[in-house]
Amino acid sequence: MPDCARCSAALTSALVCEACGALVPGAAAGDPFAVFGLTTAYTIDARALRKRLLKLSRLLHPDFHGTAEAAQRELAAHHSAELNSAHEVLADDCRRADWLVRHLGGPSEQTERAMPQAFLMEVLEWNEALEAARGSAPGSAPRAALGALAADLEAQRRALLQSLNRLLEPLPATGAPALADARRALNALRYIDRAAGEIAELVLGATAPR
Amino acid sequence: MAYSDKVLDHYNNPRNVGSLDKSKASVGTGVVGAPECGDVMKLQIEVEGDRIVDAKFKTFGCGSAIASSSLATEWLKGKTIDEAMEIKNTQIVEELSLPPVKIHCSVLAEDAIKSAIADFKAKHGGAAPGGKS
Repeated sequence: MPDCARCSAALTSALVCEACGALVPGAAAGDPFAVFGLTTAYTIDARALRKRLLKLSRLLHPDFHGTAEAAQRELAAHHSAELNSAHEVLADDCRRADWLVRHLGGPSEQTERAMPQAFLMEVLEWNEALEAARGSAPGSAPRAALGALAADLEAQRRALLQSLNRLLEPLPATGAPALADARRALNALRYIDRAAGEIAELVLGATAPR
Repeated sequence: MAYSDKVLDHYNNPRNVGSLDKSKASVGTGVVGAPECGDVMKLQIEVEGDRIVDAKFKTFGCGSAIASSSLATEWLKGKTIDEAMEIKNTQIVEELSLPPVKIHCSVLAEDAIKSAIADFKAKHGGAAPGGKS
């Protein structure tokens, strides 16, 4: 990162100088790790991330720049929004992995879309179980089966997150084959999260009146 | 988003929903998915000689994905394997007036057709389809 244009201190965030509080002009090119001044890596210390968020939020808070000229106030608002989106990416295991895979030139979900037939058959079965449960009364067998399915999905989710961790830690080289494996794991997580979300919706919908 | 009348028609009255016996030698099964949205589509064909005599689908997804696969099964019936290979997603887009954001649904249907045919051919030793079912 370059030095602060005002006080020449080395910048520790792409948005603001933590030494003198000057806002870095321009957009931060969408790198969430640079926004937070963290090393680009899959493993992230949730506590350290939280601490950085609080510190940077304060420095960027529009109220903190309330007496500055309009352009500076606008920049503060813009940078605050950028800080929040960067935090959303970094705090979520899947979104952080997705960002890293793209950043390292790995395939997108459009280019690496093929999944094993056996996995897709399984996705189909989850959906059939959901369909059967939707058509039956609360407390019936198809509804009860959702509990086991939800547990199974959760176990698969944990296993996939562990494999993401193996694939992305340490960070693979740009264009490495591990990136395609990571993309397939992210694709599988997408199917799992969607099914798990629909189960949760159905289960909650069954107990709470609509 | 506004669906075209043809999409709504296929969505409300889907043609050929169901399953064929995937263990039968004359049946080819294709399952494809769209990781962007989590949609999943199963398409099956039953072949006699080199002609598709039946087609079934089961799709869990949006209206456009259901309509695309429903239309695909309608088009498949009566076609030869080679004719079926010629079906392009752009024809589905045109027939259903799919908007750009739903083009991937038609791609999914084309992939499902190709995948079902590939499965059928694999059951027959990858050779050109003949009468040996």
